Amino acid sequence: MEHEIKVTVNGKVETASVPAGMTLLEFLRERLYLTGAKEGCGIGECGACTVLLDGVPVTSCLVLAVEADGREVRTVEGEATDGELSALQRAFIEEGAVQCGFCTPGMIMSARALLQRNPHPSDPEIREAIAGNLCRCTGYEAIVRAIRRAAERGKG
Amino acid sequence: MLGNFDYARAGSVEEGCSLLAGNEGAAVLAGGTDLLVNVRNGISPPKLLVDIKGIAELGRISEEDGIRIGAAVPLNVVAENNKIRKGYPALATAAGAVGSYQVRNRATLAGNLGNASPAADSAPPLYVLDARVEIAGTGERRTIPVRELIVGVKRTSLAKGELITAVLLPPARPGARSAFLKKQRIKGHDLAVVNMAGYYDPSSGELRVAIGSCAVTPVLLPSLPEPVREDDPLDEVAGALDKIAQEAVSPIDDLRGSAEYRRAMIAVYLRRLLETLLERGSDGA
Repeated sequence: MEHEIKVTVNGKVETASVPAGMTLLEFLRERLYLTGAKEGCGIGECGACTVLLDGVPVTSCLVLAVEADGREVRTVEGEATDGELSALQRAFIEEGAVQCGFCTPGMIMSARALLQRNPHPSDPEIREAIAGNLCRCTGYEAIVRAIRRAAERGKG
Repeated sequence: MLGNFDYARAGSVEEGCSLLAGNEGAAVLAGGTDLLVNVRNGISPPKLLVDIKGIAELGRISEEDGIRIGAAVPLNVVAENNKIRKGYPALATAAGAVGSYQVRNRATLAGNLGNASPAADSAPPLYVLDARVEIAGTGERRTIPVRELIVGVKRTSLAKGELITAVLLPPARPGARSAFLKKQRIKGHDLAVVNMAGYYDPSSGELRVAIGSCAVTPVLLPSLPEPVREDDPLDEVAGALDKIAQEAVSPIDDLRGSAEYRRAMIAVYLRRLLETLLERGSDGA
């Protein structure tokens, strides 16, 4: 059965009719063409599909689109404003924290959520915050440095 | 698409129970972090998912002769709650040890129990803390000890149409201590090879220990014959407890570890647990 939903995505209100079995990740990618969030494992292990749901990071492969009805979603596409990358995105580039890029949108959203709840995280806190985001090529050191750099600048 | 099922958002506990009772193949959707993985893998495909997150009373932690944790409260909220951290540290630690941060923003305490995994991190703390679950069905709500909920691998004592509404913690005893330990293969998110929790009340000498991942259900160990004093020799207490534990568990070989390794780790982790509960240094002094 189809369900009518109304979701605010990166500040824009979206309405759609979705089947109950559609995941939030599928909705974002296939209906809204926001292809930043990726499906890696599909079972909540890898974090490549991480988005913020009402401000907290979740694995969107394990959220139904219909569950997001009436709620607010933020994806990596919401990071840049007027074509300008966020300070967090710039820090990822400057520290070489992006190689193949598959994990990056999820990493950025986990980092975004961390900096919102804790603007000055310690390295162990950074590692804990991205423990649910697997990276298989860049290496975590550069990613931790990038998040630290964004935090030091104070704005993320 | 995860599957061909329908979805309903329950507005009240009564509505949730009647949806569960009145629909063949209905399943409770709380955090969905176990359920939706099973659906994706084609394990017992549901016909209807009943979302309980819109039921206001299930989303709250409140103080009522102890602490009441609503069934839709996510694990991160449990792990970060100051009253739980202070009065029931074993539970706060265990809640923060399930899955990853993202998963804990969805996964619920009640769901961790209702999934009835032998490795459920929240079960050993709730066993030793003497917690109960509140269950709603067609009649009056009832409560049972958490340890009577999980009856087998992925099996609970819930009847069709029943819904866990809350986990109830008894009032914290002043001075009592609790702790949770988890042996896992990697530092990030992983299921436990062995997990265990302990509760110790120095004033009465009561010591309770529960072990997970080493039998078809988590196991609450039978008590030691004598109360435990804070200055009892650690080796003796740990040895006596290990003897009881080795008889109480029946671990299997699986991809996370062999039965033999689990038994060896029980001894190591029991000692570490006692070091914390009896407030000893790691040299056992």
